[in-house]
Amino acid sequence: MTLEIHGLSRRFGGLKAVNDVTTTIADKSIHSIIGPNGAGKTTLFNLITGALAPDEGKVAFNGNDITGWTPERLAHAGIARTFQRTSIFKELPVIENVALAVRSRRGLNRSMFCSMAQEKAIREESREILARVGLNGKENIRAGSLAHGFQRALDIAIGLALEPKIMLMDEPLAGMSRGDRETVATLITRLREELGVAIVVVEHDVGMVMRLSDRITVMQHGKVIAEGPPSVIREDEAVKNAYLHGNFAA
Amino acid sequence: MTSSIAMQSKPSSVEMKQSRTPYLAAFILLAIVGATLPLWVTGNPFLLMLASHAVIAAIVALSLDLLTGNTGLLSFGHAAWYGFGAYLAGLLSKNFSAEMVLIIPLTIVAACLVAAVVGAILVRQIGKTFAILTLALSQIFYALVFVLSDQTGGEDGLQGIPMATLFGNTVASSQAWYWLLYGVLIISLGGALYLRTTPLGRAWLAIRENTERASFIGVNTGALKLIAYVFSAGLASLAGALFVLFNGAVSPDVLHWFESGKILMYVVLGGVGTIVGPVFGAALFTFLEHYVSSYTDAWLIYFGGLFVLIVIVAPGGLFGIGRSIYARFKTGKGQTT
Repeated sequence: MTLEIHGLSRRFGGLKAVNDVTTTIADKSIHSIIGPNGAGKTTLFNLITGALAPDEGKVAFNGNDITGWTPERLAHAGIARTFQRTSIFKELPVIENVALAVRSRRGLNRSMFCSMAQEKAIREESREILARVGLNGKENIRAGSLAHGFQRALDIAIGLALEPKIMLMDEPLAGMSRGDRETVATLITRLREELGVAIVVVEHDVGMVMRLSDRITVMQHGKVIAEGPPSVIREDEAVKNAYLHGNFAA
Repeated sequence: MTSSIAMQSKPSSVEMKQSRTPYLAAFILLAIVGATLPLWVTGNPFLLMLASHAVIAAIVALSLDLLTGNTGLLSFGHAAWYGFGAYLAGLLSKNFSAEMVLIIPLTIVAACLVAAVVGAILVRQIGKTFAILTLALSQIFYALVFVLSDQTGGEDGLQGIPMATLFGNTVASSQAWYWLLYGVLIISLGGALYLRTTPLGRAWLAIRENTERASFIGVNTGALKLIAYVFSAGLASLAGALFVLFNGAVSPDVLHWFESGKILMYVVLGGVGTIVGPVFGAALFTFLEHYVSSYTDAWLIYFGGLFVLIVIVAPGGLFGIGRSIYARFKTGKGQTT
């Protein structure tokens, strides 16, 4: 499994939000994309996940050109994402949030029949996924009434239910308490270790990124200014200049 | 493998009530009152006719809830499909056959086909755009009645529709009509409740809740919205077909935006997305409309006020009120002994 991004560009009016970005996400790696505000991280993310179409360049997944695929097609191909602002089905029970994704993966979205046994298997699987992210015992709570940290975990659980090969997380630690950040960070490492999911993270918390990542891509003004393992990025002059305020200590 | 990681947040204790009791209770009450109605209004044929109209209204309300309640798409022009069914079935029975078993399925199939084509464009739109386009569609259908007035009778309406037959037997008695309409309502209601439990029905709710997330878990939101739209149009056209055969005539009023507004009010009054609620909403509205309008010409003012009140005070509609009363009753009984 590799995700190859080649010469990807996207313009908004006169602004090149993403300018000729090339990088490769390796199998089972945790790959972070960082950069100052407005560097084009989220745009790049949206280009990969099908929320936006690129002007130039291509994205290939396992050698298949997936450029411009719709989100639902990408989901079935094994590319899942989570959202910067937690995106769940708030009015539905926690377990149903995950069950929806399980059914979708099983190709049941248009099914007008589902046997009791099949539905039971779906619920059982959903329960296991919830346990994996620490939501066991909360299956029947309305998703919107979960605490913030749990909602983020549920967002990740929904993504996991798709059995993705790669999971893209848009600022998974944003707006969380210190304790919750640690928990989500631990969850991310475990997912990679236990499930072998490659994880792409767009993140502001540079300290956490340095600890978690196998590889880091640093963007500024839509371009990649540095790429490498954390030890290399830490010493990179261009990166130090990009982060003038010195909040770059790990 | 299954490692659980405890979050450092307080556990939430708001358990989701998944009780089906209120649904079941409402359903049984409706079934019993409805099914036995002809037996206790024997002395009052007018009341039975009014009840028949209420049942037809309930089917239309159900059809709109299939769309709006399931996917969140708000239609301001649902009368388009009701009127489409009424006019097409009326024309078929005049020019082709009075056999319901033939013309009703034909009408539904035609409505579904047209709805699939129109809907393919409509469901790409969201929110206000969708609502305005549905309104425009119903106005186009309305205008078509006048354009094709040599066929449709234009302003005078479509008259002289022959007595409908069911498997060759003329359906004439008002009791028979009532039970027929009521049977269709119960089957449609059962179907809508069943759909809610299927993967399709649950995926619809996902679209209503969070369309963006739904597409990112692999739900083809456009296709599923279109399915809902076609089902909804098909059921509305069935209601229209039953109306014209029962009533013996149809006027362009059934396609007027006011009719669309009424259908929407049935659903809001009963409770959007509750399936059973809109059925009650439609029945209540039909009876109130008759009795209030016989007292005062300004009945619409009172209905407008009621509508505003419902939207502000009880956005869950009648069904929402019923459910909260039930919940209070239940907890009250649990605490005080």
